[in-house]
Amino acid sequence: MQASRARLFKEYKEVQREKVADPDIQLVCDDSNIFKWTALIKGPSETPYDGGVFQLAFSVPEQYPLQPPQVRFLTKIFHPNVHFKTGEICLDILKNAWSPAWTLQSVCRAIIALMAHPEPDSPLNCDSGNLLRSGDIRGYQSMARMYTRLAAMPKKG
Amino acid sequence: MDDYMSGSEEDYYYYDRESFDGLENEGSESQWAPSKAPSCKVITKESLLAAQREDLQRVMDLISVREHHARTLLIHYRWDVEKLIAVYVEKGKACMFAEAGVTLVGAVDLDLPESSSTVQCNICIEDVLLSDVSKMDCGHCFCNNCWTQHFIVKINEGQSKRIRCMAYKCNAICDEAVVRKLVSKKHPDLAEKFDRFLLESYIEDNKMVKWCPSVPHCGNALRVENDEFCEVECSCGSQFCFSCLSEAHSPCSCLMWKLWTKKCRDESETVNWITVHTKPCPKCHKPVEKNGGCNLVSCICGQAFCWLCGGATGRDHTWSNIANHSCGRYKEDGEKKAERAKRDLYRYMHYHNRYKAHTDSFQQESRLRETIREKVLNLEARDSKLRDFSWVTNGLYRLFRSRRALSYSYPFAFYMFGDDLFKDEMTKKDREIKQNLFEDQQQQLESNIEKLSKFIEEPFDGYSEKQVMDIRMQVINLSVITDDLCKKMYDCIENDLLGSLQFSIHNIAPYLSKGVERAAELTIGWSTQAGCNNRCQKADDQANGGTIESDQPSASGTSDDSGHSTWKRARKESVGGGLIDLNLPAEFIDRID
Repeated sequence: MQASRARLFKEYKEVQREKVADPDIQLVCDDSNIFKWTALIKGPSETPYDGGVFQLAFSVPEQYPLQPPQVRFLTKIFHPNVHFKTGEICLDILKNAWSPAWTLQSVCRAIIALMAHPEPDSPLNCDSGNLLRSGDIRGYQSMARMYTRLAAMPKKG
Repeated sequence: MDDYMSGSEEDYYYYDRESFDGLENEGSESQWAPSKAPSCKVITKESLLAAQREDLQRVMDLISVREHHARTLLIHYRWDVEKLIAVYVEKGKACMFAEAGVTLVGAVDLDLPESSSTVQCNICIEDVLLSDVSKMDCGHCFCNNCWTQHFIVKINEGQSKRIRCMAYKCNAICDEAVVRKLVSKKHPDLAEKFDRFLLESYIEDNKMVKWCPSVPHCGNALRVENDEFCEVECSCGSQFCFSCLSEAHSPCSCLMWKLWTKKCRDESETVNWITVHTKPCPKCHKPVEKNGGCNLVSCICGQAFCWLCGGATGRDHTWSNIANHSCGRYKEDGEKKAERAKRDLYRYMHYHNRYKAHTDSFQQESRLRETIREKVLNLEARDSKLRDFSWVTNGLYRLFRSRRALSYSYPFAFYMFGDDLFKDEMTKKDREIKQNLFEDQQQQLESNIEKLSKFIEEPFDGYSEKQVMDIRMQVINLSVITDDLCKKMYDCIENDLLGSLQFSIHNIAPYLSKGVERAAELTIGWSTQAGCNNRCQKADDQANGGTIESDQPSASGTSDDSGHSTWKRARKESVGGGLIDLNLPAEFIDRID
């Protein structure tokens, strides 16, 4: 069996076992393709994303885990390091700082950490980055909050 | 290197004879080229390993590390041993190792439990036998399968020189021996590739070593010792500027030369002129030049249009007005622009014409070699007191050398006194003074070169002995003078012109009387074997077609010791051992024959 397949299978089992342990992350494997995963992550508290549920799409390469998975947001999010249109994420561990010791689960954790600590100096979303860089925390928070409400919260009523 | 400096007079005679033998045998390019330069070495495929061995050994001895750690350190510090030592002294061993990714002590946290025969690999999350795992120097331990996959991915990504450990944030570079062992089991070709990358790092990551730019590539690399701003000749015969890898272009700086070649290629001034002086006809789109008269222009196709805005118009007009058409306010601007473009073009043409003229003369004079050889043969056949004709070849060589410097001095002047590069660094008056100073020197050099050329071209093989003696004196004198003038011009450029600039750094290769330095073959360990030393030296001299050794440092290089060249990095005085020193007084040259 392919190394990547074997490893993903192990991760799948691990995810089933840890489901209860980490309620913020819900990783699901595509029924027919073990290289496609989706995740639902909860916006961290005390951030404008609090209360939102964001969907991530994972595309795992054949060389996994030696090469990082491709991850993007499916849910619209206003964040300096996430592309507003495509949902692409600028995160070092998904690029050159990747280590095969990471798992899909730990990548999700890293993304949650990124939501809580944006890095406005390497923005993919310049509007959002500029708000933060110019010190307009309030402006950034209300924009992010608005999009969380619009896109990441189940509509009531 | 000191051995090169000492030579007895018998040697001079010996080498001198050799030079003539060589001349008769081949008379090829190498005869006129400068002989070996001790500061530049050719590194062939075969000597590449040996070349880096020296540096590796030095580091291994100094810090007492194993070879693969020494290599990791050197790759990190770009093979700059001095820098490595400086960091070692300044920051200490631990810090240097951490920066470069060398870990000596295995981390304790991953110590394998001795009792269990299997261990879980954190990458594939499988339980594997202890015999199937490898532990790197950093202490991280994964199964061989995962390691191998990791290495293959990294080698294919072109990361052979820095394959890091798989653990997160572990900076350690993997042991090359482990990489080799594991990869070669599955993919011997990749292991070979890995080895080659490691070897070639010595060339690619090293600012003192560069590939020879010859096309087709000769496979050699060249290493300089002291100064990367120099001109060198590879053993394949191609001469180039070590710093920018284009043709040898001093006294132009690399930037100037780059701009100049681009300008010549683009003919950008012509294009400029056309855009300013012509307008496309609105109907047939041919460029139309206005040759006088008012602003209503008519194209040969019959279409009339307004010169100022380019729009099509009717044919009725007065001197200042075209019926139902008005756009006159841009007039002044346009004229100024046209004037400037014209001035710039003339300026460029002036410098380019002179540059071209001297390059052309240089090429024509290159044909002189053949005729000169005949003349020398004719003269030698005669039974006369005069036996040594090295003055002819030396004079011819001097002519080539100075002609080259002269032609490249025009592009230099174009940029030095133009607006492109140094507009803000000199006042107008300052620039004028400097330009005069420089042009005086250039002119002197030019007139002496022409004189030298005239004497060398004379059919002196038919002259009487006395006339030949006269020409000989003239050629020797003029050789000395032109060499001197070249040197002065370079000095002036380095110190008075480029040296006084505040903001831009322009480095030029130093003037060497004997021309571009020819790289010597890398002889490993020759300096430690005194016995071999002499043999090598003689062999080299013979191979290079005869040289005259001089006790005094030849007047090569720049006047570093004069202390006013503080703006550029200090150059170690390159002592031109084993080279024709044409600056010696005539009596000295007399003594040779």
